[in-house]
Amino acid sequence: MYELFVEPWTLGSWMWRGTLAGALAAIPCAMIGVFLYLRRLSLTADALTHVALPGIVAAFLLTGSIEPLPMLLGAVSMGLIASFSIESLARHPAVRSDSAVGIVFTAFFAAGVIALSVFVEDAHIDTQCVLFGDVLGVSDDTLWLLGVTSPLIVAGVLACFRWLSIVSFDEGMARNLGIPVALVHYGLMTAASVTTVAAFEAVGAILAVAMIIVPAATAHLFADRLQTMLAVAVAHGVASAVFGMYCAIWFDVSAAGAIVCVGGMLYILAFLFAPRHGLVPRAMKRFARREVGTQSPREVVKVDAVRDAL
Amino acid sequence: MDLTLTTPTILLAADFAEYQSRAIEFFSFKYQFVTLALVASIVVGALCGLVGTFLVLRRLSLLGDAAGHSTLPGLAIAFLVVGSLSTGALMIGALVSSFLSALAVGLFSSGPRSRPDAAIGIVLSVFFGVGIVLLSYIQRVATTSYAGLDSMLLGNVAGITTGQLIALIVTAVVLSGATLLFYRPLSLSTFDPEFARSIGVPVRLVHYSLLGALACSVVVSVQAVGVVLVSAMLIIPGASALFWARRLPVVLGVAVIIGATSGMLGALTSYVFEGVSTGPAMVLVASAFFIASLVLGPRQGVLVTMRRAGDAAQRGGEHV
Repeated sequence: MYELFVEPWTLGSWMWRGTLAGALAAIPCAMIGVFLYLRRLSLTADALTHVALPGIVAAFLLTGSIEPLPMLLGAVSMGLIASFSIESLARHPAVRSDSAVGIVFTAFFAAGVIALSVFVEDAHIDTQCVLFGDVLGVSDDTLWLLGVTSPLIVAGVLACFRWLSIVSFDEGMARNLGIPVALVHYGLMTAASVTTVAAFEAVGAILAVAMIIVPAATAHLFADRLQTMLAVAVAHGVASAVFGMYCAIWFDVSAAGAIVCVGGMLYILAFLFAPRHGLVPRAMKRFARREVGTQSPREVVKVDAVRDAL
Repeated sequence: MDLTLTTPTILLAADFAEYQSRAIEFFSFKYQFVTLALVASIVVGALCGLVGTFLVLRRLSLLGDAAGHSTLPGLAIAFLVVGSLSTGALMIGALVSSFLSALAVGLFSSGPRSRPDAAIGIVLSVFFGVGIVLLSYIQRVATTSYAGLDSMLLGNVAGITTGQLIALIVTAVVLSGATLLFYRPLSLSTFDPEFARSIGVPVRLVHYSLLGALACSVVVSVQAVGVVLVSAMLIIPGASALFWARRLPVVLGVAVIIGATSGMLGALTSYVFEGVSTGPAMVLVASAFFIASLVLGPRQGVLVTMRRAGDAAQRGGEHV
């Protein structure tokens, strides 16, 4: 037990730093993710994480520096441009809304990759870093960036909790109450971009998607109240970060990948066994009802509908 | 990240002659690998355009994204099992994991507490995460070269082997034939599934066949466009074609032409400018086609809509 759980911490600072970076990235990602998930913007989150790349490259080309601030500004403005283009495209009658997401982020991402390979030396290595991240080699700058942005975003979410919850569940009512829905929406997008950039060096672009969507989806299987959902999502995020780090060290594999795999496993477990909404409890309940033969007429119709659907 | 800025060589006019000569070289068919790359990129564009149009029409665009990212664990497992970069094994591995991912999206979309959009995001990122874990494991233990696996991420059409090209062409021919053969059930179940079901079209079978076709076309395309951006080649030609035509056969034709042209021009770009991966180059060309279609397309293109609005205003003025 000692070798497995305690020894990694004594071998050097990288375990501390990696776990800290993972957890600091996971908490804001999970919180933002809950609201994106509820607003059915999961795939916009996917788009935002990809779009951070051209944003960072553009900021680098304009300023020539890789300081955190220009990178953040670049990614946030590119993220806002992208989410605005997605929404305008989706409103066009000849464009399907899911196609709009797929077109915009792939085009932005492709432009970013090309700019990186044409204008920046050692592009190949950096493309890898952008895609996969490097939790174990996380730099002081990144840790500071995470340390500053992560509490800020958590505080922002808590401060705007009422607005966010009303907008997430009932946009019409939010409008009637005089809540600035567009402002909340773009604020959420900005927060998602900031989180992504901060999480970038730790977990990479594509895996940041996992840290945003998977905790929220897992939490939705357990929780009936928004507060509970947020708590479960954050717990899921932190648990996957910590266990992911352990797995990465035990099996000597990519830490970012391991974090996502652990998160995915937790989701699958929840999907199967979550108390009321899991696959197995639901099947057992159905089975028990049929055994006893106390189906209500409504239930019979439901069972028939399911059989037809199959 | 250690970044150093280089001179943007791409914009220097002095190099223009060199680029021109490289472009001429590309179309001269002097080198066999260039010819293979040219043929492959055209076929990839056309195939993705064909299959992707049905995805776009069925609002399954982003399933292509999931299927693309999900080939990575399959490729890695196949490499670990076989121990070499044999084309057949890699393709089977990628095919299985890509099809599994499509089924997983279906599974996670069902149930009272699930969102189809989140299901796609979960499957995509978790499969990709598994793939990355396996890749990092391969980098540690591999005794033989795994260099080909890296180029699968963003695509390198110049590295295509004859075996891959044959698989690609066979897939394209089979799927085009199948589209012609099963055109009626395909189009009926795409536009009106209820009606299709009522006249006895096996809608569910059509759906799963389409998922199979998607997995096949993604697998044969990843060498050229890469797993990350293959979805763009599936979505963009179909979405652009919808601006040019109303009838499905015409839409399919336009999508195939746009896809093939983007494939060719993308391969050319990446050949002329060294260091540019084929995948992103093809996607940028395709996006240019999309923007052109959005502006110029006769069906609800921006210009047409504006002119029509102007006409209406004028006519309204005359009546008053």
